[in-house]
Amino acid sequence: MPPRDKTDVLQGTLALMVLKTLDAMGPLHGYGIARRIEQMSGDALQMNQGTLYPALVKLEQQGWIRAKWGVSENNRKAKFYALTPRGERQLAAEADRWGRVAAIVGRFLKPAGDPS
Amino acid sequence: MSRLASLWARLREQLTRGRADREFREELRAHVAELRDEHLRRGMTPADAHRAAMLAIGGFEQARELVNDRRGFLVLDHLWRDARHALRMLRKSPGFSAVAVVTLALGIGANAAIFSFIDAVMLRPLPYPEADRLIAIWEIERGGERGAVAPANLADYARVGAFEHVAGYSTPSLSLTGGGEPEGHIGEAVTWNYFTVLRVPPALGRAFTREEDSPAGRPVVIISDALWTRRFGADPAILGRAVDIDGVPHDVIGVMPPGFRGVSQFGSSVERHLWLPAAFPAELLANRGDHEIRAVARLRDGATVEGARAELTAISEGLAQAFPETNAKVLAQMQPLAGDVVRDVRRSLIVLMLTVGLILAIACVNVANLLIARGVGRRREIAVRYALGATRARVYTALLTESAVLALLAGAAGLCLALWIQGVLVRVAPASLPRLSEVTLDARAVAFTFGLSLAIAMIFGGLPAWQAGQARPVDAMASGGRIVAGSRVMRWRNGLMIGQLALSALLLVGAGLMIRSLVRLNSVDLGFDTAGVLTMRIGLPMAKYPTGDARLAFFEQVEARLTALPGVSGVGYANAFPLRGGWSSGFGIDGLPLPAEGVYEADFQAVSPGYFKTLGIPLIRGRHLTPADIKTSMAVAVVSEQFERQLLGGRNAVGTRFSRVGPDGPFITVVGVVRDVRRDGRTATVEPQVYLPAAQTGMYPVRLADLAVRSTGGNAHDLMPAIRAAIWSVDRDQPITNIRTLDEILAISSAERRFQTLLFAIFAGLALLLASIGTYGVVAYLVSQRTAEIGVRLALGASRGRIYRALVAPTALLVVAGTLAGVVAARWLAALLDTMLFEVPPGDPATYAAAAGTLLAVALVACVLAVRRAARIDPTTALRYE
Repeated sequence: MPPRDKTDVLQGTLALMVLKTLDAMGPLHGYGIARRIEQMSGDALQMNQGTLYPALVKLEQQGWIRAKWGVSENNRKAKFYALTPRGERQLAAEADRWGRVAAIVGRFLKPAGDPS
Repeated sequence: MSRLASLWARLREQLTRGRADREFREELRAHVAELRDEHLRRGMTPADAHRAAMLAIGGFEQARELVNDRRGFLVLDHLWRDARHALRMLRKSPGFSAVAVVTLALGIGANAAIFSFIDAVMLRPLPYPEADRLIAIWEIERGGERGAVAPANLADYARVGAFEHVAGYSTPSLSLTGGGEPEGHIGEAVTWNYFTVLRVPPALGRAFTREEDSPAGRPVVIISDALWTRRFGADPAILGRAVDIDGVPHDVIGVMPPGFRGVSQFGSSVERHLWLPAAFPAELLANRGDHEIRAVARLRDGATVEGARAELTAISEGLAQAFPETNAKVLAQMQPLAGDVVRDVRRSLIVLMLTVGLILAIACVNVANLLIARGVGRRREIAVRYALGATRARVYTALLTESAVLALLAGAAGLCLALWIQGVLVRVAPASLPRLSEVTLDARAVAFTFGLSLAIAMIFGGLPAWQAGQARPVDAMASGGRIVAGSRVMRWRNGLMIGQLALSALLLVGAGLMIRSLVRLNSVDLGFDTAGVLTMRIGLPMAKYPTGDARLAFFEQVEARLTALPGVSGVGYANAFPLRGGWSSGFGIDGLPLPAEGVYEADFQAVSPGYFKTLGIPLIRGRHLTPADIKTSMAVAVVSEQFERQLLGGRNAVGTRFSRVGPDGPFITVVGVVRDVRRDGRTATVEPQVYLPAAQTGMYPVRLADLAVRSTGGNAHDLMPAIRAAIWSVDRDQPITNIRTLDEILAISSAERRFQTLLFAIFAGLALLLASIGTYGVVAYLVSQRTAEIGVRLALGASRGRIYRALVAPTALLVVAGTLAGVVAARWLAALLDTMLFEVPPGDPATYAAAAGTLLAVALVACVLAVRRAARIDPTTALRYE
């Protein structure tokens, strides 16, 4: 099997970003999700947009998002992804966990010698 | 929960992935279009915009690949791809595929067919509820063979706490008369609890009661469903109706369910249709020395076989002490019934399974060898795969999948073959093989076949896969395109080829020994002429013919009527004709001391004057028995040459007197000597014979019951309607049973041997075929691999003859080595066959030479045929090859 470790690490965070994007924006197609993530990162994150789709497939398999064909703003047939109720719960749980992990990591990375 | 849902979603995707892929391409195209539009808006040229969009998604196909890998199951996907690839590869080399599939199919088919046999005969439970709890009981005389159980001991065996019930049964010959032609039957006389032990109650009516199972009980009978349907039109009013059995009316109280078989049915070709209460007479129950019946018991829930055996042995030893006169030497033994009914055939079935196992091994070696050869040829392909980044696991999986596809194809073909083989086997198998009618190719056999196929794929595909998988990317490039097998691979292949030839030699020797045995057996002179002699049993019921005189009168009348029939050249009657049982007895010879064993022993028979003529037994000296030898005349006898040789030291027997009673007579005088016969068939030894006139046997416990008619030609059975009419004109209620020509009896007695020999011969032939296919395949592949080299040699001026020899010689060496190894192994293993051989030593040199010669000849022909291809090679084409 081809090596995939790097993308796997990204997948975890990417999935969370996708869920948050759909939560904030409502149903969105793949291109829209990619644009939104890039915009939210202040265009600091130049993602390979192709890797978005495996993440979407996995989220769909998990039942956290649902896909439906629709028409884009530019009048193109496109697949729209929307959060399912289970996806919403998952987002809440993941966001909470992320927050805690971030806090812990943040504390670790505080300048040494600083008490508290 | 979510994991399960995800699994389900992926499974669904696996099935609809074609559509999913189409949809995704559309989705991705839309994405690319949006990106392109955006770039266009920013002022790029259309070409640049397209390139930028593609760059942003990391390439169209790559994205597709990523998504497809994520969908469904990658492993399944690879498997599917490998399987399709394997099928393509197999289609590309149809010769290899056909040989491999056919070879494996032959091996698998033979195994599946024999497995279904062994499954039905040995493995599947007997057709009774919880049949594994049924136990067979018998008694042995210490140091003797297994024998019948004394009914008097049965009640003691029932004391074994581990037994729920112990039932006894015997198999009397019965005549069923009234309402149709008289029928002869072998029924079962059973104790009242017989059906309780088997846990099969009658489908209609009821089982026997304790009261009915006593001499004072009212005569009752339970009949089979088949008899009920055939003779009584399945009339439910049969219950309570009386049928005549041995001339006595018996009330029908029950009808067994369809397909029910009595315990004595297994191993007998005569179906049981009548069950009577055993009703042991008081004298029998009082005499522990009278062994008359067989016994079957059911284990109580929770009881073990070992526990029951310990109890039974203890009781048996107790009886030996309590009744030393009758029981001192008697020991009760037991074993599960299922094993007991196949005890006689177990060994030959095991030899059979080993044989087909060897066939399969040969087939597998064949295919493994072909796969190795192919693997060598495919090193470059494999090296390229590695070079392109395939992992070792992927390459092995792909190679194994290829052999699995082969094996499964062969399994399917083998199953068809098995179905056919099985049909043939069931038709030619001896009827004495227990449970033959249960042989079917069911789900178990199918599972066995495909399990076997996959196991073969893993084991015999694994080795070649491992060999081929050793390829390194550098190999492909370094050897400049042409790949030659390494010495290690060659060693493997040589070893496999030797092994295969050795196994074939083994089977050929086995088959040779069996065939020689059969030929020897068929050439044994019986001492009497069997051709055209039709025999039948006429068991006169005691109630109607209580005295010897009455029986003699009946037979004399029948003889007179039969002699008058056209097409009859001889009529004889006796207590039993040769091959149909007999009577051995002790006696003393007047004027000679008794031998060390106590008495002289010989086979005795009561015969009619026509006996010798009917059987074609020639007179050596003295005179034959005549109609003048009657009850009131001098007691006379005719003896055989062996009588003179063995008992009289070669002296003339005529005039010798002997007595069966005591030293003072009454004496019987020998008046003639006839040629020796093997009474019990070709495998039997020649025993001294004593023939007494039927008219003078009122004084001996012998009942006339056997009739023989010699026909003048044609099929002796054609005489049967006339014979029947003649007999029934004397007594219209007399059943005639066991109607067989002597040749048929001989055929039946050697049926098992012929069956074994036939199977052995077929399998050895198969082995020979496989070995030659294997040799051909390997050599042909070798030749094709060396085409270029041969071309060079030819171009450089080597003679074709020389190339020929160079190719044949190494293979010929392998063939000789394999054959020798097989012959040596056979000499060592032939001891297994010892009991199945007849007058052929397991080391018979002629057989070994013939087997080795056949194998050498066939393998070398295959080898030469394969090499001939090389000789036809045109140097210029050969050099362009590859």
